[in-house]
Amino acid sequence: MIALYRVLVLVGLIGLWWLISLQVGGVIIPSPPATLGAAQMLLAEGRLLPALGDSLITFLGGYGLAIIVAIPFGLLMGAFAPVGKTLEVYVFALAATPRVAFVPLIIVFLGLGVEAKIFIVFLGAIMPILINTYAGVLATDRDLLEMAQSVRAGRVETFRRIVLPGAVPFIIAGLRLGATIGLINTVVAELYTAVRGLGGLLALYGNTFRMAEYFVIVLMLACIGVLVAEGLRLAEKRLVRWKSGS
Amino acid sequence: MTEPAAHVVLSGVSKHFGHRDGTPMAALTGVDLTIATGEFVAILGPSGCGKTTLLRLLDGLLQPDTGSICVGGAPPRPGPETGLVFQSFRLIPWANVRDNIDFALTSSGLSLSERAEKVDEAIALVGLQRFASAYPGELSGGMKQRVALARALASEPQLLLMDEPFASLDAQSRELMQTELMALWARRRPTVVFVTHSVEEAILLADRVVLMAPRPGRVIESLPVDLPRPRWGYDVHGHPSFIALRRHLSERLRELVLTDPGSDFFQRGAPRS
Repeated sequence: MIALYRVLVLVGLIGLWWLISLQVGGVIIPSPPATLGAAQMLLAEGRLLPALGDSLITFLGGYGLAIIVAIPFGLLMGAFAPVGKTLEVYVFALAATPRVAFVPLIIVFLGLGVEAKIFIVFLGAIMPILINTYAGVLATDRDLLEMAQSVRAGRVETFRRIVLPGAVPFIIAGLRLGATIGLINTVVAELYTAVRGLGGLLALYGNTFRMAEYFVIVLMLACIGVLVAEGLRLAEKRLVRWKSGS
Repeated sequence: MTEPAAHVVLSGVSKHFGHRDGTPMAALTGVDLTIATGEFVAILGPSGCGKTTLLRLLDGLLQPDTGSICVGGAPPRPGPETGLVFQSFRLIPWANVRDNIDFALTSSGLSLSERAEKVDEAIALVGLQRFASAYPGELSGGMKQRVALARALASEPQLLLMDEPFASLDAQSRELMQTELMALWARRRPTVVFVTHSVEEAILLADRVVLMAPRPGRVIESLPVDLPRPRWGYDVHGHPSFIALRRHLSERLRELVLTDPGSDFFQRGAPRS
């Protein structure tokens, strides 16, 4: 049912897009068929897929690295109160600083290549994942902890069976935020360092007013966002299966 | 008949908690209580009388400020030797019935297959075989409390501590659970300390009712219940001993609440005729 509604909304959005395109003229807002044509042309020229590949490497590299670092670090901060209390103020400070501010510094150290791009994505994606993981551990149900204490469950067992599963919904929320920021930073990285990937094409077509091609790239980016969000939704459904019964 | 061996001995136990304004608040003062092995004791009292604190002390989750507690000859410590049942069930929402019960056996030193056997036994004991792989969210309140009971009993503890376990259940589930508990107790005969604020529940279940007063929490009366067991299959509530005890305990409870400056009903009672 929802799927049907979704398709209906999609049709409505495309209709609206078309209508606006007719109103303001195809030069500024290309019509859907013109955009489709541009997409076919970009594909035929072999420009779209390599750019997509570049962007995916940047995004997935930085995002993956952020996950690998943020989750264990967040768990560590949550599980050992002195570590968490000591570091949280710095984590929050770093999270509040616009990460774009670091781009010149990153270029100095890592250059303009893929390493710098991945690092920019990593820096953006890591904070929400880290902060959410930490919050998830801190939000552990005190009553369950007392229950664990009363059956003399060890620290490891308590962490594995109570704290960690309880933090999963928080971690997934963090992964979602991290993916969004990671995708934004992918484009930022491609604009501020060596101009490549989907971000590079975006700049190219935007600056030369080739709006149909420009729209293709914007839609591509939106599709990546939707795919990542869906993937996370499926992961959540699997991991938080116990909620379905209630 | 010989005097049964004492299982739990409290002497001169008191416990204070830091209050918001900094002055320590007495949760329990001068509690002396001896409980025999296999005895079923109900702790009855209005809110604020330290019933729950008493249970935490008996489980070893808290240490007394003064006085001593002995369970089986040693100071209590949390673990599989003592089962604790909470009012709010405290089941792990993401673990099914089987894993919830198994969690209580992690420190038992048993092998995985022995643990699985104990879990099966506990599940059978409370009659939840059909729901072994259900999640707590899929169970009714009564069934959740049966899981919690099975978890507390899985390690075959000698001492079972119950903190108003049936207070959040509907009237019918409560009645069924009370009968179920009495049947379980008759089979396994652990020592039970059952905290409740219901006079009827205390008399129905226990060998002895210990009455506590609030602020500071203290024991003021200890009354044996001489109702024939098993207490099902006949009209327990109509038994003369039940009626006399209920009248006495209700009076005392009422008095305690009306004369307690900390209670919501302080000096609020209707005048006696």
